Amino acid sequence: MSPIKRYILERVVMYLIVILLALSINFIIPRLIPGDPIGVIIGRLSYQGGRIGAEELVQEYKRMFGLDKDLPTQFILYLKELLRGNLGYSIQNFPTTVNELIARSLPWTLVLLSVTSLTSWFLGTLLGAIVGWRGEESKLGKVLAPLTLTLSTVPYYLLAIVLMFFLAYLLPIFPVSGGYSLAKVPNLSIDFLLDVMWHSVLPVLSILLSSLGWWFLSMRSMIMSVSGEDFVLMAEAQGISDREIMWKYAFRNSLLPQITGLALSLGNIFGGALLTEVIFAYPGMGWLLYNAITTLDYTLIQGIILLIVISVCSATLLIDLIYPLVDPRIKYGE
Amino acid sequence: MARIFQPLRPHIGIPARNRKFVTGLSFFAVTVLVCIVGRRLLPFNPLRVGRFPMDNAPTPQHPLGTDSLGRDVFGQLLVGIENSLQIGLIVAIIGTLVGASIGFIAGYYGGTIDTVLRLLTDVFLVLPMLPMLILIASFMRVVETWMMAIILSIFSWAWPARQVRGQALSLKQRDFVYMAQLSGMKRLEIVFVELMPHMVQYLGASFFFAIFWAILSETGLELIGLGPQNTMTIGMLLYWAMFHAAVFRGLWWWWSAPLFSLILLLISLYLVHIGLDEVANPRLRARGK
Repeated sequence: MSPIKRYILERVVMYLIVILLALSINFIIPRLIPGDPIGVIIGRLSYQGGRIGAEELVQEYKRMFGLDKDLPTQFILYLKELLRGNLGYSIQNFPTTVNELIARSLPWTLVLLSVTSLTSWFLGTLLGAIVGWRGEESKLGKVLAPLTLTLSTVPYYLLAIVLMFFLAYLLPIFPVSGGYSLAKVPNLSIDFLLDVMWHSVLPVLSILLSSLGWWFLSMRSMIMSVSGEDFVLMAEAQGISDREIMWKYAFRNSLLPQITGLALSLGNIFGGALLTEVIFAYPGMGWLLYNAITTLDYTLIQGIILLIVISVCSATLLIDLIYPLVDPRIKYGE
Repeated sequence: MARIFQPLRPHIGIPARNRKFVTGLSFFAVTVLVCIVGRRLLPFNPLRVGRFPMDNAPTPQHPLGTDSLGRDVFGQLLVGIENSLQIGLIVAIIGTLVGASIGFIAGYYGGTIDTVLRLLTDVFLVLPMLPMLILIASFMRVVETWMMAIILSIFSWAWPARQVRGQALSLKQRDFVYMAQLSGMKRLEIVFVELMPHMVQYLGASFFFAIFWAILSETGLELIGLGPQNTMTIGMLLYWAMFHAAVFRGLWWWWSAPLFSLILLLISLYLVHIGLDEVANPRLRARGK
């Protein structure tokens, strides 16, 4: 087998194992714990006045959800439904399916995340390269390094609370919570889009500020170590201008670890953004998840988690597979 | 014992000269001391509701004010930090021990054991942790601090395992290991007497990173309502402050006290971690302080 095929095979196998593990945990955990989702549905029903016939309804639901079968059969049924993209019903909003609820929240998170993580990666990398190339003498670096170190240690959601206090309470410039003004009806008019952007300033800012530091620091140290390499010295000896060496030689070579870094930290970015959404009651996946947790909507929790795990892993796999195409130095495996 | 501690001595001397390590560790040590001693000196149980007037701004009696349930915020903070550190410590001990053992075995023995263990480690590294933690915690319904610690420990071993494996791989090629093999030392003896001392700083760095990570993840889970309901941790204190909308009711002492102590604690732990990392990795040290 050629090394490249071997590398791809390894990555794909790894991906499948991770997904299968996540699926199994997702399947097994609710069945290990005494609390039971159907009990929650029945409890809600009896709270609404429907007490008689609840026992029969439990049996009916168990049959409907396939819970009367043995575990291996249940697992296979579960995988079958997942393959068809069916995440089941939400317990809290019973006839509504988990898919429908997720479809409502997903666009919010997708836009928020893709815009912020790419912007912060781009800005941090650029800034880190410029400051790192100047090395120890850079005045900007002397100010930025401790500042970004502090910012990158502070989790998104803590920064979110601080920003909220200063920019929504002390100086009430930005809205406190939500994705759009309650008085407005979601549509595609300019007015509404501006309102959405206005509401997203604080969430965007908190994610941007704390992740920027991370990219800045790693790019800075990467380009500083590259600047000591022989090929840079060689380029200097050939009389190539400093600016050209930086962008054409050093920058390109230090960019690749940044791409791996992006692949590795996607999970963290996603997780942190979920919590930031909770702080600002931003109507994305994080807020949906928070509501699912507070209302004991087990199926919704499972659906959201599964979707997050699969999308984060797929994105990681994608970057892993693209990576050798852009970096000829990689020797695929051993 | 002397045989184990003798080779350790040169490795313990160096961190004392690293500025990041010293700054971080001294702040961390002071915090731990103040919380452990201070909490026991408190003349009241800070978690008991209704003991003091509600929503009072800081006064000499209540240096950080009181909350909406009539509790002293400073007292809660002491209890909270201590409990959070307890969680961090349990997670770090389990993670480092399990991770180091797996890494050592994989790196030193090699072969099939290595392949299996490496695959397992990689799977746990790729699996997005926070979502999985949320899933597990939301079904487990955490009520005590030790439950939180156990859940976090499931994910805390993979990173040290990978690092230790890499180290063991490179160390076992060194001459002194061949020397030890030739002189008839047993494999386990080589691992503990010859290899371990070289890893002290790595393990120390990953130990402090594990505490850092545990407190970070714990706070994340607590802020979405998955924390230990029966007790106070630093994240729970912040959660209740957010729950009672302290930010918008002008009760700045309630939310800012846990928030800023959390940030300071995280920064000090991170400084200790990178300080030790620089000492263990001479390449990092040379590149800049």
